[in-house]
Amino acid sequence: MLTLLRDLRRLRRSLAVPAPDRARSLAVRHVDAGSCNGCEHELTLAAGPHYDLGRFGFGVVASPRHADVLLVTGTVTTRMRGPLLAAYAAMPEPRRVIALGACALGCDLLGLASELVGPVEDVLPVDLRVPGCPPRPEAIAAALVELCDRAG
Amino acid sequence: MSEGYRAAVDEAVAVGHRVIGLHASENGAVVRAALLAPDGTVSLETAAAENGRVPSLVDVAPAVAWDEREAADLYGLRFDGHEPLRPLVDHDLDLGRWTVPVRGHDAYQVAVGPIHAGVIESGHFRFHVVGDRILHLDARLFYKHRGLERAAEGRPLAEGLAYAQRACAACAVSNSLAYAHACEDATGLAPPAELARARTVLLELERVWSHLNDVSAICAGVGLAAGSTRFAALTERARRLNEALTGHRFLFGSVQVGGSALVVGAAAAAAARAELTSFEEEARSGLRELRFNASFADRLPGVGVVTAADARALGATGPAARASGLAEDARATDGRFAYAGFVPAVPIAASGDVEARLEQRGLELRQSLALLDDLLAGPLEPCAAEPGGEPGPIGIGRVESPRGATLCIVERSGDRVDRLRLRTGSYANWPVVAHAAAGNLVPDFPLINKSFELCYACADR
Repeated sequence: MLTLLRDLRRLRRSLAVPAPDRARSLAVRHVDAGSCNGCEHELTLAAGPHYDLGRFGFGVVASPRHADVLLVTGTVTTRMRGPLLAAYAAMPEPRRVIALGACALGCDLLGLASELVGPVEDVLPVDLRVPGCPPRPEAIAAALVELCDRAG
Repeated sequence: MSEGYRAAVDEAVAVGHRVIGLHASENGAVVRAALLAPDGTVSLETAAAENGRVPSLVDVAPAVAWDEREAADLYGLRFDGHEPLRPLVDHDLDLGRWTVPVRGHDAYQVAVGPIHAGVIESGHFRFHVVGDRILHLDARLFYKHRGLERAAEGRPLAEGLAYAQRACAACAVSNSLAYAHACEDATGLAPPAELARARTVLLELERVWSHLNDVSAICAGVGLAAGSTRFAALTERARRLNEALTGHRFLFGSVQVGGSALVVGAAAAAAARAELTSFEEEARSGLRELRFNASFADRLPGVGVVTAADARALGATGPAARASGLAEDARATDGRFAYAGFVPAVPIAASGDVEARLEQRGLELRQSLALLDDLLAGPLEPCAAEPGGEPGPIGIGRVESPRGATLCIVERSGDRVDRLRLRTGSYANWPVVAHAAAGNLVPDFPLINKSFELCYACADR
């Protein structure tokens, strides 16, 4: 009976998101470089009860000094370029950058050229691109899993 | 000319009108103030700038202080009587130029942002404090300024919608509908009952997920995981419902200028009603649990108080204004939506603190869910706006977003946007947040901020 329950639980988890190596984890720092707030709302729910990033070993940390991954949302505005670079510079190595959402990837950008620097890859080396406007919480979780597996 | 402007505004204010927005137009050659009449109609009063100078309105309408500062920064205008005229949108300036001087024994500053510790939008707060007590807060936003209003200039009216929608995901429907109404007002179109109903459904769906998210955020603001998790789960279900009905979790693309392509069959509408009924039960039970959780409930009363007089003077709008006792809601006076007989909800003890703002979310949730239950009684079909009203060069739309009344003004040449002004509920309420923070403790600020839960994106544009 106990074995059956354990197998069921394992099955349920493996169906939701591909399972990463359990021995590893990622500390994530989010920087909003000029988003519409959609990616932030989905990221919040990715850490919420339905997706629960924490169970895969992913947590949002308060400081870039504690982070393995910089998760950047939005087109980089001229005003956020400096703070974004400062956050990246504060991270310990090895560090990875995820560009999250259509704006961060430079798709269908709206706004004045004089106010925008451009997509994240114009400012930082991007390791993983997550499309979507905004990306769904499961896409965010899957991206972190992929990066975690890749890092090994 | 500009003296007539000031006199006209004074006269309107004397008979009960309120100044609810101000923007520069024609490349800074004129300034237009938006006046709200007691019956809910909005009119514009225009002043021609003389050598780049216009009389200020801040003495009669402190609510437009940000508007004037923005027009000064982006259009180079000067507002006579607005002293000191601090920069708002301009960055890269000495601290002394944009902060209010606070001096005295043991006064110091705490700088927070633009990058915050959680998953939060970018913006900078500078607290002037003694110990943990906040004396004054200067908020510097516009880190996310994308120049959306100017970028929309010259676009066809239908294309301009994207600029309003993408200003903010959390207010995508409200901003889009304010824009659509402004365009239809300018081109002499009015929504028939079917279109009004489809749009009201969208607007209330946005309010439902947004208010559920706000309750979750307030719980997170005091670190109550049980409450924030419960309402985050409801928020997720609301987004899934959005997707089931419109194909997008944030309802993107569901609003159009001049009509609606939204199709909701009878079965989908019935399923949505059942899901909404379940939200109602869950939210009611969740809110009751919060009320009887002493360690949570103790944190809320008397924190971040905004009196009714201050809310009025500062131009507070939406749940924040109603929680202070101002029974105002654009839904009560708007004939372009399906809100016949709507009466704004106000808490019994409209104490204007975090507790009242939380209670207000509960009241409005119940209203919105009841409205949706009525509105989704039948299927929704595609429909178009009909001729109604005189076409003109300027159109105005005003919509009650989850964060308060959002004003959109579209000036046009033929089918092209000349000037787009989007003044959202968040924009109106940010100065109120700064005011509410004064006198409170720094550790209570996240809670105060969450009780407003404003967007940075649609203030910055």
